[in-house]
Amino acid sequence: MSWHEVVGLVLLVLGCAFYGAGTVGLLRFPDVFSRLHALTKADNQGLLLICAGLAVLARDARVAFLLAVIWLVGLLAASVSAHLIARHARHAGSSHASKPERP
Amino acid sequence: MSVGVLVDVMLALALVGLSLRVVTGRALFRDMVLFILFGLVISLSWSRLGAPDLALAEAAIGAGLTGALMLMAYRRLVEGGAEDSPGRRRSFLALPVGVLSGALVAVIGFAALGVERVPGAAGTLVLEELPGTGLGNAVTGVLLVFRGLDTMLEMTVLLVALLGAWAVLGEARPGRLHQVDRDTPLVAALLTSVSPLTLLIAVHLLLAGTDSPGGAFQAGAVLTGCGVLLVLTGTLRPAVAAGLVTKLLVIAGLTAFVLIGAGALAFGRPTMALPGTWAVYLIETAMMLSIAVTMTLLFARSRGLYPERR
Repeated sequence: MSWHEVVGLVLLVLGCAFYGAGTVGLLRFPDVFSRLHALTKADNQGLLLICAGLAVLARDARVAFLLAVIWLVGLLAASVSAHLIARHARHAGSSHASKPERP
Repeated sequence: MSVGVLVDVMLALALVGLSLRVVTGRALFRDMVLFILFGLVISLSWSRLGAPDLALAEAAIGAGLTGALMLMAYRRLVEGGAEDSPGRRRSFLALPVGVLSGALVAVIGFAALGVERVPGAAGTLVLEELPGTGLGNAVTGVLLVFRGLDTMLEMTVLLVALLGAWAVLGEARPGRLHQVDRDTPLVAALLTSVSPLTLLIAVHLLLAGTDSPGGAFQAGAVLTGCGVLLVLTGTLRPAVAAGLVTKLLVIAGLTAFVLIGAGALAFGRPTMALPGTWAVYLIETAMMLSIAVTMTLLFARSRGLYPERR
């Protein structure tokens, strides 16, 4: 196993750990806002780590660039949708926001 | 067991599990989200099976557009006062239909297992003749060169579907869509960055389609995604009547196909014999525009669209 494979795999495993933590937060946290908080931060970090790991494994500038674009677009979509969900929850009132079911 | 087999097994289990949850679920909203997820897993399965064209189409249409349509329908249902989780009405047909479907799947499965692996004559011929068409992607070759008539009729079906929707719509005013709040700057930022990106991806898919996975259908679906986004954010508003440009765009794909396909007759060649790669590009571009405009109009439940005046 060469060094770039080790680094890539470590990054991938770390990324999966962040995704796991985000998912646990989504499932376990009580209301919309704390769930969003867990999901957005952990998942964005997880996506970054996984993209970085794949880029290291690929050892190709073009692939690395494409992965960076994927990460940026993912960030954009995640932040805007999280913002809209949070706004909707706030406008709908605290009773709706703390309902355990639908975020 | 290799990693690939492991991934395949996980995909298969996920497909069965998700479909069970979708069918037996009791909360409408959750079932819809699971169905969208189901589309994504199917898309992954297609790419594992080595069919990236299908994977792209499934991701864009099966998961993306169908999901958006279902969520719109859900919104209407909720605004109309429907319950989210109505008591499951048991139909007396459920059991026979389930048994017959299971039997059908089992018969097809057994038949497929028993089939001897002979290379299909048509598939081999396509691969042999493909270099002569100037195309590198066998799927595009089949869609436009070898089975052009089928694709032309598919465009006809799409056009008829839109005309049917317009007929059902009647003289009704276009449906008011629930729009995302515009007073947050993030939505405008999303539009300004995502719309050009979608356009770029659509054109890339279209051009790449001649040699690698992609093509008019995938490009059209991605462009529709952009249209849906513009409709949802109120940048494009539903109009009462279709303008000339809209009408031209809707029939562009079929028209290009018919003109070039029938035009071959004038030069003493068989119908639908395309005169060259430029014809493929021309038809695919027209098809992409028609697909995107038609599906966006269907989504917006309207005859036309006009840009918001600021």
